[in-house]
Amino acid sequence: MTSPLFKRCFALGVVSLFAFGPAVLFVGGAQASSTKTTPYQTTRKNAGTPNSDVVKKNSDGVIISYGNTAITYNAPSTALATLGDALFQQNCASCHGTQANGVPANGTNGAYPDLVGLGPATIDFWVSSGRMPAANPRSVEAARRIPRLDPNQALAIASWVNSLSPSYPYIPDPNLKIAKVSDGAALFALNCASCHTIEGDGDALALSTFSPSLRHIPAFQVAEAIRTGPGNMPRFTGNLSDYQVNDIVKYVTTEIQHPNNPGGFGLGGLGPVAEGFVGLALGVGVLALVGFWVGERD
Amino acid sequence: MSDEHELRTPVSLSGLAANDPHLQPSARNPQLVEQVISVCFVLGALCFAGFGACYWIDAQPWKLGATMGGGFFFVGVGLVAWGKYLMPRGPFVEDRHTLANSDADREAFAAVIVERGGGVLQRRKMLGGLLGGGLGIFGVVALFPLLRSLGPLPKTTLDTTDWKKGSYVVDQSGRRVMEGDLAIGSISTVFPEGTQNTDRGQAVDQTVLIRVSNEGFTTMKGRESWAPKGYVAYSKVCTHLGCPVGLYEQELQLLVCPCHQSMFNVTNGAVPQFGPAPRPLPQLPLYIDSSGYLRSQSGYHEPVGPGFWERS
Repeated sequence: MTSPLFKRCFALGVVSLFAFGPAVLFVGGAQASSTKTTPYQTTRKNAGTPNSDVVKKNSDGVIISYGNTAITYNAPSTALATLGDALFQQNCASCHGTQANGVPANGTNGAYPDLVGLGPATIDFWVSSGRMPAANPRSVEAARRIPRLDPNQALAIASWVNSLSPSYPYIPDPNLKIAKVSDGAALFALNCASCHTIEGDGDALALSTFSPSLRHIPAFQVAEAIRTGPGNMPRFTGNLSDYQVNDIVKYVTTEIQHPNNPGGFGLGGLGPVAEGFVGLALGVGVLALVGFWVGERD
Repeated sequence: MSDEHELRTPVSLSGLAANDPHLQPSARNPQLVEQVISVCFVLGALCFAGFGACYWIDAQPWKLGATMGGGFFFVGVGLVAWGKYLMPRGPFVEDRHTLANSDADREAFAAVIVERGGGVLQRRKMLGGLLGGGLGIFGVVALFPLLRSLGPLPKTTLDTTDWKKGSYVVDQSGRRVMEGDLAIGSISTVFPEGTQNTDRGQAVDQTVLIRVSNEGFTTMKGRESWAPKGYVAYSKVCTHLGCPVGLYEQELQLLVCPCHQSMFNVTNGAVPQFGPAPRPLPQLPLYIDSSGYLRSQSGYHEPVGPGFWERS
C-alpha cells in the first residue's frame, strides 16, 4: 500500500520541515515585529494628535504643545526627565524593565506592557490616578487608589518615557469654559454610559473586570482616559473631536460628579436596587415598629 | 348565656368615672398625656403650614416631602396616642336581641314561597335567550381589538436592514467615516448614511465599528475581505433580545451585552462565548473606496437581532 517512493517523499518532507521550519518562524517573527505602530494615528483634524489648529514648537523644532480652543495638549517639561528616570527605576522598572520596554530586569519576557511610544498622557494617567505602581501586578485590573506619586512625579516619569521615543498624545488641558454640557450629556450617553452607567458609577464587566466610577476624577484625567483608552476601555480618537471630548469632560466633572439629587439623598445613584433596599430596611422596619406600638395591649 | 359571659362585667360606654378600672392607667391622670398629644398636634399643624409655605415658594421636593410627611406623622402619633392612652380599654359587653324571627313569621314567609311563588317565579326562555345573544355578541366584538393589536404583518422588514451595496458608513452626527479616523482599539456606533436620525436606523441599522488592526483582518473563513485595514463591523442588535451591544473591552476583545451579559468574541466572528445569545452578531462586509471612505460591500447576509417565527 505504501510505496517506497511515498516513504521517501515523506521522509524528505519531515527532514525539510525540521531544516527550514525555524527559518519560517524567524521570517514570520520579523514580519510581526515590523508591523508595530503607534496607536495614535487618526488622520482626523483636532482629534488629539498634532494635526491640530495650533501647534507650538521650541527652538529645536520639537512640538511642545498642540491643540485648539477646546483642549491644549502640553508635553511634560524635558527638565523633569532626569527626575523621571530615577523615579522610574525605583517604582516601575522591576516590571516594565529599565528601558520601559516591558522586559523585566531578570531577562525573561514578562506579561508587562511595553511603555515606549505610548505617549505622555498614557503614563501620566496610570501614575497620577494611583493605578501604577500597581498594588497587585497580577490582578486582572489595576484599581484606582490614592496615588503613591504626586502629580509632578507622574509628569516626570511621563517626561522620561517620552524622551525614549517621542509620541502622542501629550497631556490634555481641557478648556471647560467653552464646553457645552448638553452636548456632553448626549455624547456621554452614546459613548460612555454603556459601561460606566448613565450615572457614572461604573459596573461589572466580563471576566472579573469592571468599569470604574467616574466620581472624584480631575478633568485632565477624564480627557486622558478618553484619548488613550486605558486597560479595557476603548480609545476614542478620530471618532470624537477635541471639542466633543471637552463637552464630555465638562459633563462628567459637573453633572456626573455633582448630581442634583431631588430627593436629597442620591444613594450612590445605583437605581431601584439601592432605593428598594432602603425602602425595605428603613421604611418597612420603621413601619413594623409603629404597627407594633399601635396594636400593643398592656 | 355562657359562663364566660358571667365573668365579664358589663360596662356602659357613657358616663365613665375618672376612677373607672376600665380606663387606661394613664387616663386617670390625663394632664401629661394630653400635653404630649397636644404637642404632637401642634407640631403636625406647624408641619402642614410649612408644607403650604414650601408649596407656595416652590421649594425643593425634599422639603415638600419632609413637611407633608412630618405633618401626617405627628397628627398620626397624636391620634394613636389618644386612642391608646385616653380611651377606656375593654372588655365591653353589650346585650343583643335574638337574631331569629319568630316562628309565626317564618311559617308565614314559607307559606308565601310555596303558595304564591309557583306563579311568580317561572322560567322566561325568550328573555334569557336575548340576554345570552347580547352578551355573546359583545364577547365576539371584544376580540376585535385583540386582533387589531397584532398590527400589520411585518413581511420582509425583519429580514433586511437599510445597509445596501455601497452605503456610506456614517457616525451619529452623520459624518462619513474615513479610513484614518479610528485608531486601533477605537469603537464607534455607525449607520448607513441617511438613517442615523431615524427610528428604524437607530433600532435596526445600528452597527458597531471597531478597529482591531492596521491591516485587513479575517474574523472567519470566507470573510477575508470583510474588514479592510482592520475595521470590523458587527450589528449592534443583540441576537438574544435585541439590546444594543455597546460594551467593548479592547484587551479581552469582547463585546458585552448590558442586558444579559452575553459576550461576543470580536476577533472570531462575534461568536457568543458566554450568555444566552443563540447566534453570532451578523458581520457587515466593508470596503474602502478610492477616496478613503468606509462603505459596505452589501447588506447583512442574515437577519439581524433576535430570532422570530419565520426566521430562516
